[in-house]
Order: sequence, then C-alpha cells, then structure tokens
Amino acid sequence: MAVNWLRTLASRRSVPVFPVLGMQGDELLQQLVLSPDIELVDSPRHASVLLVAGEIPADRFEFARRVHDQLPSPFTTLWFRGEPWSHLENATRIDDLDILPTALVTAYSELMEGRRESSPRILPDKPPNPWEGEGDFGQGGEGMMGGVPYGRPMAMNMENDIRDGLTLDSLTFRLGPFFFAFPPGMSAEITLQGDLVQTWQTQLVPYPQSLDPVFFTARERPVPIAEIELARARHHLHRLYRGLHLAGLEGASLSALRLAQNLSTTSTLDGLRRYLSRSGFFRLAAIKGGELGPEQARRIGGPAARAAGLDEDLRSGDAGYRRLGFSPVCQTGGDTCARWWQVLAEIDQSLHLARQAERDDVTTSELGRIETPRGPWCAKRPEDASALFDELLPGLEWGDALATVASLDVAGLADQPVGTRPSGESRAIRGGTGNDV
Amino acid sequence: MELFAFLIIMIMVLGAGLLVQWLPMRHQPRPSWAQRAPFLGGGTPDSHAWSRYHIRYYSMTLLLIAFEMEMMFMYPWAVVFVEKGMKAMMEMGMFLAILSVGIVYAWREGVFKWQ
Repeated sequence: MAVNWLRTLASRRSVPVFPVLGMQGDELLQQLVLSPDIELVDSPRHASVLLVAGEIPADRFEFARRVHDQLPSPFTTLWFRGEPWSHLENATRIDDLDILPTALVTAYSELMEGRRESSPRILPDKPPNPWEGEGDFGQGGEGMMGGVPYGRPMAMNMENDIRDGLTLDSLTFRLGPFFFAFPPGMSAEITLQGDLVQTWQTQLVPYPQSLDPVFFTARERPVPIAEIELARARHHLHRLYRGLHLAGLEGASLSALRLAQNLSTTSTLDGLRRYLSRSGFFRLAAIKGGELGPEQARRIGGPAARAAGLDEDLRSGDAGYRRLGFSPVCQTGGDTCARWWQVLAEIDQSLHLARQAERDDVTTSELGRIETPRGPWCAKRPEDASALFDELLPGLEWGDALATVASLDVAGLADQPVGTRPSGESRAIRGGTGNDV
Repeated sequence: MELFAFLIIMIMVLGAGLLVQWLPMRHQPRPSWAQRAPFLGGGTPDSHAWSRYHIRYYSMTLLLIAFEMEMMFMYPWAVVFVEKGMKAMMEMGMFLAILSVGIVYAWREGVFKWQ
C-alpha cells in the first residue's frame, strides 16, 4: 500500500523530461520550458520520459539509442513529429504541439501508476569489452593497471600538458550530439588534461537552424521593419536563454524566454538587463575567455563579428534603416563577455528600431541582401562555422569552453523557415524511418 | 532499560526506512551496462575517468600549511615574550625574516598566480 501511495505521489510531480533533439526540435523546447507541468532535465538519469523531438538523421541513430538506454527504469518514450522506431512497442507519436504537454503528463502518470509498461532496452546488456574473470585477480587483464576493468581501459594515455609540459593522464571522449550545452546535433571528440581542453575536434556539425519566415519574405519583397526586428530580438532572446541556463541562472533564463514569447513593440529590456547585472552574470570568470581574432570573427559574421569590433551590418545599406538613423552597435573585446553584451545591445536596438518603424510605418527596401540574426545573407546563406571551435577552444578551461560554445551562434541557416515540416523526400535522404536500427 | 528501548526503536525506524526503499526496488533488475556508462550526450569515453592530473593550487596549499604552522609557534612565544622581552622579539623577527625569504621565492616562482 505504501508503494501505491508513493507511486501516486510521484505521478503528481512535474514530469521530468529529457529531450533528444532532432531537426527543428529546439523550437518546441522553448514552448515546453514555460509549461508548469514539465521539467526539462539536462541528463537522462534524471528523466522518466524521453522526448524525441523532430526527425533524427540516420547518422545520429546510434547516439540516440545510447541515450535511450541510459534512462533509469521505468521510463517511456514520446516521439514528436518523428516516426518511432518500429521495435519500440509502446512509443507514442504526437504531431500537435498544443496537446504535447498533456500527452507527456498522461504518459508519465500512466507509467507511475503502473498502467503503462516501461520502454524496452535496445542495446545488448554487456560491457564495452569482456573483462569478468580475466587476469590473475579477475580484474580484466594483465598487470595492476592493465586490462579492461569493468570493460574499459584505465586512463594511461600520457600526454604533455599544453600549459607547462607536465606529462600526465589525459581523458579522451566524444560528447554529443544530444548534450544540452551544445548546439542541437553537434558532437565533438575532446581530450581533457585535468580541467583544460587539450584538443577539440568537431565531428558532427550542428543541425541547420531555421529562422522566422519574415527573413525569407524580406528577400522577396519589402516587409515592415517592425516585424523583422521583433523576430531578430526574439532569436537573440532564445540564445540568451540557453546561455543563462548553462550559467545556472534559471530565473533569469526563464524571464528571457517569457520576454521572447510576449515580445511586442512596447516591450523593454530594462528589467532583464537589471536582473542580469544583479545576478552577477557579467562578472562570471567563465565568460572571460574565447576571444575571436579578426579573421575568425569575419568567418562567423553577424553579432559575433560586431562583438569583436567589426563594423559590418547589411542593414546600413538599406534605405528604410537609414531613414530610422540606424548605425551598427559594436563591442571591442571579442570574448564571450563582449558577445553577451552585444546580444543585449542588439536586442535593445531591435526593440528601439521596431518602435520607430511601427510609428513611421517603415519597410525594408533592400532585397536579396539582408542581415539575419545569424549573419549577412547575400548570395549564400550563412554557413556552419562549428569548425571554428577546433582552433578556438584548446587551451581553455572546461567551463570557459562551454561558455564560449554557448555564446557563439555557429549553426548554418536551414533552407526553410521555422514551422515548415521537412518534406518526405528530404527525410528519406537523411535516413528514413529508423527501421534499419 | 531505557537504552535498550532506544536501541529497539532505532532498529525499527531503520528497518522501516530500508523497507520503504527496498519495496519499490525489489523487482527492478540491475542497471544495464549502457546505464552504467557516463552520460556524454550519446558519445562514448575511451577510458575510465580515473586519471592523474595536476592540482594547480597544490603549491599554494603547501605554502598555506607552512605559514599556518608558523602561527602555531607564535602562541608559546607570546608567553616567553613577557619573560624575555626584546631578546625574544629579535629571535622571532629573525625567524619571520627567514620565512619571508620563502614567500619571496614562492612569489617569484608564480605560486600565487591562479591558473
């Protein structure tokens, strides 16, 4: 009876959900975070529901399977706008965003009350290498530190520290593509020496990110500047949410998200800026690194380039913006801290421009050359710049490296705006339905 | 008698606590090997994370301990100082001067620089 009571109690709490993000999956996260019944967690160990959001490309199936099997029992899986793998018997597919929170709550309470079976494990339950009973003491191999105890070799790969040449053990691992602090879809092979990043090699580039449809329309015909600037501010606020969440400032991150959701020309940034100054975000030691050189800043473009002092913004060439007295805002530092100041300054500027443009009814005039929140879009869309991490992050401490990753918007632009479902054809190219697992 | 009653109560409380933990867990299998691996967002580690690395604040810690010990010598000295006067003062001055050379040396070596 005690157990039933505990189960009932557990089923009433907010639902711990771990999101595995597929293509365009991060858009729904911003909706879910503000739902009071849902608690998005950063590790599958704390979750009871695995939410697969969007289409997972075939080259990331193996990673998704591993995350799936890391949830503690009992757990269940929900697929949002993606085809569940055929061998997952009780996986539910949801396509409507409005009913998703309710579906998550229902699935969780059914699971807790024992009315729903736990999801089956996919991977075989065996260690990475056979080890049991091997060696003189059953430790998995020869020698005191040799062999593979618990299926994995000991850290014996001696490398020289890049700070002072001390030869100590380094730790090599592959992180991502479903790691919360990375852009969705990115994975990297990293070697750590203590807390220092020794090498960084980006292995899978992040998914292309979708922009608001207004940026696509602006390339075909003039659009109201108020509309395009609000969309720009919203994009930056969503990025700020991720940065603040990583910094552990949950309250501040949620207020950034709330501001993004209710954004209008009457919104102001004053409250959030005051909140950030008081919370000590700009005094964090971790945001003092990740300085971009001029060449690197030019490669990534957009707000990151302006944070490094490059005075480049395609809006300067637009007659509509010139009428509003637009001039680009820039910082000089080029480091993580300067980039977050730049994001705040650009949100503020966008809100200011939107107010002015709405009053005077100004539209854009330049077609084919528009400044997106990710960077300039002339003949080509801004491309993926995640290879920049390989040269920027070695030598940084782990916290500084993650803060740098969060502050840089490296994912390229998708060819379709937000809310467009990937077509059947492109889905087939990216890896079918997952039946090949 | 009271102690015995207390012991019984403690055992009962402990037993009840363990029972509440054990009951929901009794049908659950051991965590699978996939669950026992560290969470790396779907990635895998090459080796165990039990690696030898340099604690960067190590030299600063040693220096702190050395000067804490020096403070310990000053307590008995304070008693002797009342008796001996200026002679004890000069002896302590020499002792501190020798230790200060150590600080200057450590400073030059960059011990106080946080890495």
